[in-house]
Amino acid sequence: MSSYSKILENIDWELITLILALIATGLVALFSATYFSQTSIFWKQLVWIAVGLLAMLIGFVLDYRFLMRLAWPLYVLVVILLVVVLGIGREISGARRWLSLGPLGIQPSEMAKIMIIIWIGYWGSKKKNLEDYGFRELTIPLVIILVPTGLILAEPDLGTAGMLMLISIGMFLLLGIRRSTLIISFLLFLGVLPIAWFSLKEYQRLRILSFIDPSRDPLGSGYHALQSKIAVGSGGFLGKGFLHGTQTQLRFLPEHHTDFIFSVVAEEWGFLGSALVITLFFLLITKIIAIGLKAKDRFGAMICFGIAILITLHVFINMAMTVGMFPVVGVPLPFISYGGSFMIINLACIGVILSVAWRKHMF
Amino acid sequence: MKYSIFGIPIEEEFKYKARGLIIVLGILLAVLFTGLLNMQIFKGAYYEGLSRNNRMRFMSIKAPRGRIVDRNKVVLADSRPSYNIMVIPEDIADVKAIASKVSVLLDKDQKEIEDKINGALSRPYDPIYIAQDISFDQLARVEMEIFNLPGISIDAVSEREYIYKDLFPHVLGFVGEISGKELKLYDGEGYRQGDLIGKIGVEAACEKMLRGKKGRRVFEVDALGRKIKVLEEHQPLKGSEVWLTIDSRLQSIAKEALQEKTGAIVAMVPSTGEILTMVSSPSFDPSIFLSPMTPEMWKEIMKDPMHPLENRALRGQYAPGSIFKLVVSLAGLSEGVIVPENRVFCGGYFNLGRRTFRCWKPHGHGSVDFIRGLGESCDVYFYTMGRAIGIDLIAKYAQELGFGRPTGIELDEATGLMPTQAWKRKRFHDKWHPGETLNTAIGQGYIMVTPIQVAKAMGAMVNGGKVMVPKVFVATQPRVEKEIDIPERDQAIIKEALKYVVQGDSGTARVLRDPMFSIGGKTGTAQVARAMTSKLSDESDIPYPLRDHAWFFGFSPIENPEILVVTVVEHGGHGGSIAAPIVGEVIKGYYFLKDYSREQLF
Repeated sequence: MSSYSKILENIDWELITLILALIATGLVALFSATYFSQTSIFWKQLVWIAVGLLAMLIGFVLDYRFLMRLAWPLYVLVVILLVVVLGIGREISGARRWLSLGPLGIQPSEMAKIMIIIWIGYWGSKKKNLEDYGFRELTIPLVIILVPTGLILAEPDLGTAGMLMLISIGMFLLLGIRRSTLIISFLLFLGVLPIAWFSLKEYQRLRILSFIDPSRDPLGSGYHALQSKIAVGSGGFLGKGFLHGTQTQLRFLPEHHTDFIFSVVAEEWGFLGSALVITLFFLLITKIIAIGLKAKDRFGAMICFGIAILITLHVFINMAMTVGMFPVVGVPLPFISYGGSFMIINLACIGVILSVAWRKHMF
Repeated sequence: MKYSIFGIPIEEEFKYKARGLIIVLGILLAVLFTGLLNMQIFKGAYYEGLSRNNRMRFMSIKAPRGRIVDRNKVVLADSRPSYNIMVIPEDIADVKAIASKVSVLLDKDQKEIEDKINGALSRPYDPIYIAQDISFDQLARVEMEIFNLPGISIDAVSEREYIYKDLFPHVLGFVGEISGKELKLYDGEGYRQGDLIGKIGVEAACEKMLRGKKGRRVFEVDALGRKIKVLEEHQPLKGSEVWLTIDSRLQSIAKEALQEKTGAIVAMVPSTGEILTMVSSPSFDPSIFLSPMTPEMWKEIMKDPMHPLENRALRGQYAPGSIFKLVVSLAGLSEGVIVPENRVFCGGYFNLGRRTFRCWKPHGHGSVDFIRGLGESCDVYFYTMGRAIGIDLIAKYAQELGFGRPTGIELDEATGLMPTQAWKRKRFHDKWHPGETLNTAIGQGYIMVTPIQVAKAMGAMVNGGKVMVPKVFVATQPRVEKEIDIPERDQAIIKEALKYVVQGDSGTARVLRDPMFSIGGKTGTAQVARAMTSKLSDESDIPYPLRDHAWFFGFSPIENPEILVVTVVEHGGHGGSIAAPIVGEVIKGYYFLKDYSREQLF
């Protein structure tokens, strides 16, 4: 009996509380966003959450060190899927990102984000000393990371490729990189920037330009940005109240239940509501980092840090996009936006982190 | 205590770097915080005003489609202004009241208007049309009442106009409302429901050039949805002009010549591949596709047994009949099988094993050399030569001339079929029979060609061996697909025979003989149902669907030809009597127009 209670005792209930709070916030926003037109979405999301919680349980029960053995197989699988998606993926708006598996669609580029966290964690866990990395040590992992990144760029999916690079850079920085290496890399990056701009697709360049000057294209992406800003701004301090967001209910924003869900929160719950969501995310991410610091081994720590970076990027890019500080790139908000696979993957990640937190007490 | 490497605990190793991570996180969230603070608190009132009066309306303005002009810049397809009554469903307070007012003004059914508005309420901010292309009278009445019609506006758009109606529809094609399938196909190219898109012909092939670029208008409406002022306007960009090599005058001469017969005419400049005329009959008026069609109308058109929408010049596939003898001639001469002076005796039939193959002339041509063999289209001569050359060599030359594959013209076309031994094995799992070579040698059997393929191949036969890719756009550079090396001597003898067809005493197209014009050519009769009809001597006794297709290709002048005309008349009967006169009229029309334009010049 006592061992049973011990298991429960060592579970990180704070983390679970934070996640449940975020999910609840998301459901409130989603209910409002789909109240007049697509009520079925709300119920579907409930199903996804249930499946996601199950995935979280599985992630928790399994020993996370088992993921180290999965690092290479997962890498190979994702690269193969990325090649396949280039060949036979469904083309939507000139990009091939989706693979159809019967009724299901999967996005290999989304899997790549998790894969890269596991792979770098695995690679970093083999570090033999505490010295920082230089170019010599980093060359091989860099090539290994650039393969999936290049494939994602070819889809083209600029946003995910960029995110993959940011996650990798963040994790390498945590593992330690020599100062000289950092400076040279930065200079190299500045050199490559103009080349990158000209290799972008027309619509990608337009998106960035329309961000800089929204009046360029009020009907296209600029329209989204503008309507989202009106929604957020008009929320004021207290918000317009549940189900009373005019921007939301009048459907000025076509995608407000997915990528623009935060504008619903901001409009209906005002500055108070949005500040609360930001605070919840801040607590969640710092909690994950703290669990990483307390981890039993370096792999567990790196997984936590990687997921913390992933969530940080998603939260920042999504919210910045909603308030018009970032181009519209189609990044959903973790635990809040509507979407099945995204919810499941995120909750599975939380499961792994719970597993890291729990196993520090073992052995 | 937990230790990682060399006894250093994880917490020690990552402490400072993790703190860095938290600082970055803090900065990022602080940026968001400031952004929200600024927008929601400092500028909150401003945005609230915007949202309360979110009375901005966005509308895209359709671009006028580019013109299509003929080689003399005569306009064939144009855009004209047209007026539609537009509604933004969101702005209609009382659907019934508005519908009743509008129905009186437009003299339309009130219920229909109501249904249209109600049907669009699921997307209340997308403008819809409740009446299209209204008359000037209707326009004037609505204009006067517009301030009593909140939510209703008049939208001027440009409408496609096909000036020559049924003269060019197969070449020009037509535009129609974009389908769901096309919307998916061109996703990301700015098409929307209700847009027009080229469906077939030049309209489809040059869609990118012709469509232009949409403009847009951002305007403000009052609480009743009436336009208050335009905030921003970007004029649409008219589509580019497409310049065709077609001569509309020659086209109408050709259409006249074909009359009501079913078939096709192609006129081409043999040295460049420029298409001067492309007629397909029966025809239709492409304007019918501009207004929304009822399913019954569609059914009627699609079910028409004559398939008026089909461009027979490019997509009609027929056996070439005796026209194909030219290909056999080229193969025979080049391979040394045909020696022009050598004679073949034609007694009206040719025995192969136990089978007898007949010549079209029941009692035979007697002893014929190459010129008479081709000029009088003696089947026995070509049975003999075809058998000696063999099917695969014949196919090789046919393929060099472009048979059995698309010609490369800018429009949608059929492939035709050039049979070979390998093809038969693959298609029927059967070996090639020698008798099939004989059939192929006179252009019957499996072989299928399109009129445009015949024009391309025959062009090469009379221009010295250059296989030109046919083209209808002035902007396309003339392209030599292949240069077949035909010795001068062979070229001369082939032309001699083609001249004999028209000018020889027993030529199969003697009807065209005219000392004023230097015309050569070749007749062809593609059998449709051989066994039955051979017993009936008089053409008019044969039931129409079983009558042969009549072919003729003619060119002029014989030396350095300027024009080549191919025609096929479905179930027309004999090439010489039916098809040749049509080609003759087109060639004469060509010279008439040439003289006429010269006179115009001086």
